[in-house]
Amino acid sequence: MESLEIQGRPAIAGRAEGVALVCPESLTGWGGIDPATGEIKDLASGNRGQSIAGKILVIPGSRGSNGWSCYYSITRVSGAAPRALVVTRVDSSSAVAAVGLKVPAVVDFPADADPCRLIQNGDYVIVDGDTGRVTIRRGE
Amino acid sequence: MVKLTPREQAMLSGQDGPMKQRALENVVQYAEILGAESLCPVSRATVFCGRHSYLEAAGNLKYHEMFSRVQLGSDELLPPAEIERQCLAQTCVSPCETFEYQAFQQSHSVFVENREYLDEARKMGVVEVGTCAPYLNGWLPLPGEHFVTTESGMTILGNSLWAARCNSDGIEAAFWSALCGRTPRWGRHLTEGRRANIRVAVDFVPETMIEWDLLGRALGLRLPLHSQPAVTMDSSGADFNRLRQFLTALAVSSNCEICHIVGLTPEAPSLAAAFQGEDPAAYPEIRLSRADLAETYDAACDPGRGPVDLVSLGCPHYDIYQLQDVARLLDGRRIAPGVTLQVWTTLAVKALADYNGFTAAIEKAGGSLYTASCPVTIKSDYLASFRGAVFDSLKQITSARLNLRGAAYYATAAQAVDAACSGEWKEANRWKA
Repeated sequence: MESLEIQGRPAIAGRAEGVALVCPESLTGWGGIDPATGEIKDLASGNRGQSIAGKILVIPGSRGSNGWSCYYSITRVSGAAPRALVVTRVDSSSAVAAVGLKVPAVVDFPADADPCRLIQNGDYVIVDGDTGRVTIRRGE
Repeated sequence: MVKLTPREQAMLSGQDGPMKQRALENVVQYAEILGAESLCPVSRATVFCGRHSYLEAAGNLKYHEMFSRVQLGSDELLPPAEIERQCLAQTCVSPCETFEYQAFQQSHSVFVENREYLDEARKMGVVEVGTCAPYLNGWLPLPGEHFVTTESGMTILGNSLWAARCNSDGIEAAFWSALCGRTPRWGRHLTEGRRANIRVAVDFVPETMIEWDLLGRALGLRLPLHSQPAVTMDSSGADFNRLRQFLTALAVSSNCEICHIVGLTPEAPSLAAAFQGEDPAAYPEIRLSRADLAETYDAACDPGRGPVDLVSLGCPHYDIYQLQDVARLLDGRRIAPGVTLQVWTTLAVKALADYNGFTAAIEKAGGSLYTASCPVTIKSDYLASFRGAVFDSLKQITSARLNLRGAAYYATAAQAVDAACSGEWKEANRWKA
């Protein structure tokens, strides 16, 4: 088993762990996911058909419509929320989504520690929203 | 730590009631995540007030329960509060047309529930306007004015063309800001947050609406996230409608919130000015040619010929001159049997179209002029019923593809009207570089 730690900026406090879902091109706004199930509908996403529900969602930032964060915030009510949010570089839409989701979140990683490059789908990831530390375990 | 004024501290302590307290708590947490040091006053807001389809994921909630739980993130039902009086708030698009619902295969109960949501928003002080193009009705921020909006096209237009200040934020955050009158002083709200960080060279002169639309998407798909381009080009073919089409297509295909066009937009009298004194040569460059537009067109428009039963025009909502053009294009013609022709605008512009006879001309040909919504904002399964749909907007066709089962064609307004009258999409219509 390999293990790697990367350090970002803590955004939403708390600790969560689980299987990573990495969307290196982000997900498009307004309809990019099904907010009831968390299923990715974005036609341009390599993760189309997978669900963000219960995952550690790893994205570079937001993409597309101002109607971006609302599709994530509502998963807190629908039960399809990810367990944690990891954002390479926070922007206004992904910050609003973090407030709405209320799950542990870490943002703003250094250029040599881009979580979208270092984390792979299926990695086991521990997100510490108090310290900003993200632990990546592969082969577990 | 976000520095708050005495007025903000009082609101945060609950002096203005629990709903405004909650809204400001969210704005402060939002500011902390961004790393903002203070908040700035917001004087305009467009907000997303209808019973939009994504809200169904939260269950069948009445307006105030939905507002507290979904928009404010509160598990408690908060007593309603008014929008801050300093903030001119109006509704963005709605999932229902202002008056019609059967034409969109919607039930009466869906229409009534949406009406109830909009009525409650009115009680909070939001003016019901129902448009993605608030500037058509005079909602125009001044240079330097801080505003929030739920419309991506308005964000980038306001920043780029009017030098007003706005971040993309989100639908929830627009409500928070309208309620407490504040947003984080961060990003595009700061002068340094508006600096260009990538050069774009366009080696041709876009002249038609479709070329500006294609240029926006072609650029958006090539921009790294968080880009703020400074575009060098011959922009002599620009007019307001072409620019809003370009900027809207750019915004929704990237996360771009501001685009400087050297010699045209106010913060870019020169390339150096767009980079605020930094050396432009130190930043990367993207070059765009007509061949890039052709690639974008081919990705947007299905190949071959085929039957057409839906034609939708007006994304962003058409202005009065675009409606005049459609009326002229339809003069002496009839929509083919079985084809639905929809043209979308704002309620105020429709009143002008009624008065000028454009609505009557569209209806005489068998088309309809609608307000407050558009096909992709109406509940998603509506689009699945059509065999072939024609749109004159890359924003519309790209979102529509998520729910269409039939073919999708991308056209000029004139080609779209031809398709509505013939019931057919012809291969010869395809745009060529």
